[in-house]
Amino acid sequence: MPQFQQIAVFQPLIFWSVLSFAILFFILKKFAFPPILSALDERDKKIRGDIEESEKLKQDVEEIKLSLEKKLKAAHEKAETIVQLAQDESKKLQEKTVQEAEAKVKQVQREAEQEIESSRNKLLQEIRGYTAALTIASAEKFLKKSLGDGDKKRLADESIEQVSRELKI
Amino acid sequence: MENPLHHFEVHNIIPIHIGGLDLSISNAVIAMWVGLALVGSMFVLPSKRGLSLVPGKLQSVLEIAMEFIRNMVYEFIGEEEGKKYIPFIASLFLFILACNLIGMVPGSYTITCQIVVTGVFAIGIFIMTLVIGFSKHGLHFLGILIPPGIPKVLIPLMIPIEIISMIARPVSLSVRLFANMTAGHTILAVLFGLAGASLMIGWLPFGFTIAINGLEIAIAFIQAYIFTILTCVYIGDVIHLH
Repeated sequence: MPQFQQIAVFQPLIFWSVLSFAILFFILKKFAFPPILSALDERDKKIRGDIEESEKLKQDVEEIKLSLEKKLKAAHEKAETIVQLAQDESKKLQEKTVQEAEAKVKQVQREAEQEIESSRNKLLQEIRGYTAALTIASAEKFLKKSLGDGDKKRLADESIEQVSRELKI
Repeated sequence: MENPLHHFEVHNIIPIHIGGLDLSISNAVIAMWVGLALVGSMFVLPSKRGLSLVPGKLQSVLEIAMEFIRNMVYEFIGEEEGKKYIPFIASLFLFILACNLIGMVPGSYTITCQIVVTGVFAIGIFIMTLVIGFSKHGLHFLGILIPPGIPKVLIPLMIPIEIISMIARPVSLSVRLFANMTAGHTILAVLFGLAGASLMIGWLPFGFTIAINGLEIAIAFIQAYIFTILTCVYIGDVIHLH
């Protein structure tokens, strides 16, 4: 095998390979590795930071969402209460109005009834007066003689009753 | 048929002799330089141009490679201690990978097929781990020779075994890389030899070479990975001492 037989080339091979490795090592160490490694670290840091930031934002969003939901719920509840109150109020108002109207109607009715009643009574009274006078006068004419106070009264009452009956038909 | 081991021979292209030292530049050295220049420029040029926060294609490749190596170092050495070894481990990985891959180009040379090269690197790493161990733990570092929880009676037996296993580390590290690369290239050379030998059935071994080329590219990555991950393990061992 030439690798074991060409002993003469061992020395230059060792010399050049070690020297070349050393040069490569120094060049790469000075010019290539630091920027590449720092770029890696930088990206690592940036990605880590971005992830942390997005995580934080996510939490914030979650909190905002929760608080908004809470607010929305509260607003719903408030709206419902308001609607309920308004409904109750309107119902009360309605009932009150109806009651008032009914009372008024009843009062008006009562008043009308009373008025009718009093008018009727008055009328009856008048009729009674007239009838009495008329009956007495006509009886006097017919009989051509004055009646006694007792007869007058009995005659008047009979006439009144008669008229009342006729009126009540 | 051509000798399948022929292409492992190193030919001096520019002979250089300084004093008693032979520093001739050979085809192996030139192939290695081409590979290193490609890898080096691939890493240095985008970094010099400035990296953006949103990476392009090349930057993504570089970042994936660095992240891969960084994670490997963090896993076996630890995040605190490992940071300062990242440049070395990454350079080692890229060096071996470049040498392995440039060898796949026909006519070039895979310098990791040379056991002296892999041996020098493995021994260098072994010495480095010893230096790290002694500088970090002082004489306590010798405790690495005594596995935790063994009965005291067995200590005299365990110490030689542990010494042998320690010494086996650079040997296995270098031989593994050298043998894998050599074997792959030998198989390719044999198959290519067969493909050229007969026109009638030459297509069959030629077809195999295509598949094995793909396999060799995978092996180039895997062996570079194994070499570096074992380096991480050895460094991690001497830092954490069981």
